[in-house]
Amino acid sequence: MTTIPFWRRKKIRRQVLQGAFLAAIAAILIIGATTAQRNLSAQGISSGFGFLWRATGWEMGTSLLRTSPGDPYWWFIFNGILNTLLMGFVGLFCATLLGLVIGLARSSKNAPARLLGTIYIEIFRNIPLIVQLFFWYAVVTQLPNPRNAIQIGHVMLTGRGLHFPGLNVTVLSAVVAIAIMIAALFVILWIAVARRFGRVESARRRLLGLGVLVTGILGAAVALSWGRIPETPLVSLPELRGLNIRGGFQLRPEIYALAFAITVYGAAYIGEIVRGGFKSVGRGQVEAAQALGLSPWRVFSRVRMPLAVRAMLPILINQYVWLIKATTLGIAVGFSDFFMVIAGSITHSGQTLELIGILMAGFLIINFSLAAVLNRVNRAIALKGKQIGVAQ
Amino acid sequence: MGADGRRPEEYLYDRRKHNCFRWLHLRLTLFPYPRRQKRKTRRETQAAAGSRPNACKQMPTREWAMNCFLKTGIAAGILTLSAAGAFAGNGDTLKTVKQRGELLCPGHNGSYLGFAETDDRGNWKGIDIELCRAIGTAILGDPSKVRIIPLSWEQRWPSLQSGDVDIMIKASGGTLSRDTDLNMQFSNSYYLGTTRVLAHKELELESLKDAEGGTICVMAGTSQEKQLTSYLQQIGIEMEVVAIERTSELEGAYFSGRCDTYIQWGPVLAVSRAASNDPEAHVMLPDIVALEPSVMLMRQGDDNWVDIANWTLSALLFAEQEGITSENIDEMKANPPTVEVGKFLGATPGMGAGLGLSDDWAYNVIKKVGNYSEIFERSLGQESPYKMDRELTALWKDGGVLFPYIID
Repeated sequence: MTTIPFWRRKKIRRQVLQGAFLAAIAAILIIGATTAQRNLSAQGISSGFGFLWRATGWEMGTSLLRTSPGDPYWWFIFNGILNTLLMGFVGLFCATLLGLVIGLARSSKNAPARLLGTIYIEIFRNIPLIVQLFFWYAVVTQLPNPRNAIQIGHVMLTGRGLHFPGLNVTVLSAVVAIAIMIAALFVILWIAVARRFGRVESARRRLLGLGVLVTGILGAAVALSWGRIPETPLVSLPELRGLNIRGGFQLRPEIYALAFAITVYGAAYIGEIVRGGFKSVGRGQVEAAQALGLSPWRVFSRVRMPLAVRAMLPILINQYVWLIKATTLGIAVGFSDFFMVIAGSITHSGQTLELIGILMAGFLIINFSLAAVLNRVNRAIALKGKQIGVAQ
Repeated sequence: MGADGRRPEEYLYDRRKHNCFRWLHLRLTLFPYPRRQKRKTRRETQAAAGSRPNACKQMPTREWAMNCFLKTGIAAGILTLSAAGAFAGNGDTLKTVKQRGELLCPGHNGSYLGFAETDDRGNWKGIDIELCRAIGTAILGDPSKVRIIPLSWEQRWPSLQSGDVDIMIKASGGTLSRDTDLNMQFSNSYYLGTTRVLAHKELELESLKDAEGGTICVMAGTSQEKQLTSYLQQIGIEMEVVAIERTSELEGAYFSGRCDTYIQWGPVLAVSRAASNDPEAHVMLPDIVALEPSVMLMRQGDDNWVDIANWTLSALLFAEQEGITSENIDEMKANPPTVEVGKFLGATPGMGAGLGLSDDWAYNVIKKVGNYSEIFERSLGQESPYKMDRELTALWKDGGVLFPYIID
């Protein structure tokens, strides 16, 4: 029998085919880009990314870091990304917590709780997110004006936002301080829970935890004092001056209307995912746990919950990615997220193709990283090969 | 060996004979034909099978279908791209319009009150629409030979550049970046609107300066956003800026009290206030934040087309200056008071040749559309629901800044 020449070998043929396919796609993209470039320059429209270093000349509504009209486009876009990440983080975190409660209510033995959960889900799942957003925005902006603010202690609630006492420090240092505190809490949790510290005596563990806590508080204090705004009192209280409430920390209604809408809407979906996860836990495992004499809480926290999470995670990843994309609705109520900054930049600079490119790449990176991290978690907790199959 | 005496890899070869482009009479194969040695085997096979196997009767496999699909897709992509590469050149808009027998102009969504709106029977009206009719009449002699294409704000530049409309008359200001980055040409300005600020009356503001620390609503992505920034720097105050993209949500935010003040292009602001629940609860502050000259925009590279737009505008203003209206134009043409007017109305030749139009184009425009004053009054002025004053948009002799060029 003659040897088969290389172009008839299945493996090589497949690789060549795939290579050709990729090359064709690359060629289409390159042809498209050069055609667009040629047509644009034929019409005299300037293209390229040079505009990113030009000053914008407009104000950015909400930003974590300081922005001014003299700042370049790239700085605005970067702040837009930070806003989207912040909204995504807050939205996902709250939606997960609320969704967990709703899902547990839906799958509990208590009939009123089940009914409440069902009503919640049917209401908030079936109304479009943008309608809910307009509703919440209308609700929060109809609150009284600053002169007739609802006041509880030093916290004031008006149609312009929620004002509460704050520290006279820069936003960056506040963010750093909060990050340090969160990191310290995580380390303490790790020390308390992780098996690695199981062998260490409990007295020493407690001492270690206390040490980490003190270090965290000290670190946060250093960060705050480094970011102090000079010649101002440390604590700033909100008070009415002129047209508006000055001082303290103001949370704009656009932010909490959007966060609220995303939380409430996302929780309806996450609730159903949670319910599905618990449904998937076999009765056998639960009965086995009960037969071992575990308390109901232990049955829940050691058996049902871990098994449910394993079933939920792949669907949750999808839902999280979707919720991040939903933050783009902020444009409708004036929250300057990534999408709104890009939309504004397009109308101001006219560089449509470049900015849409940045927008797509940005969301791709954000969502891809999120999915990658969660997929890694999913792989870590998924059933391993030897665990599948008949019990031995 | 298969039933017809072929080896397995030869079935593979025959599948290639299912050329998916056969119906196009094209031969496009991704694989080289087998070499001589293989061909020899095939001949042997054919001899053994008695006849050439009919490839078309074999069932196509999934692999083959994938190949076919990919090839078709790639070919289609390349064809589309090369077609997109060819588009109409600039420089002959007048010829195109005359050939088409129709002038294409932008409308808004029909709700840009006073500029481009539709009435309850779906007829377009407003100052932008009337200007378009004037140009259409100058070229084609008939104001009805104008087709209005509804376009959103985002669509306006791509539509003009791709030739979906011949001229962009859409309350658009002349800006440096539109001139240089988007490569457009401007006419003279046909309307001078100022950017104004509306405030809740209960705040008792004298001017925007009193609103220090307050909140101001602005439409995201407009030139007002930039004008506001520099105006706040000028008067040296800081305000919280709330930028919202949709008009209805923006107005909702202002009227619900989210913002103390609302900055907008004057004519739009006047209309919003008039349409609100309680117009008396809001005052227009005396601040004039900026002047925005509205111009007609055209693609770069067609100078004659810009001349036609400019001279049509000039004709409307010249007629107003000389007191020529659609009512008295025939009397004027019969007995022109001056040589200038005689030439303008086409009584003596020389008015149209240089522009590529007929000599009576200006006569047609004034007769069928009216002069500038007639257009303004029925779109925005006393004959309209908005009852706006001419202010800066008046003629030079009435204290405004508009003027015609000289008809010599």
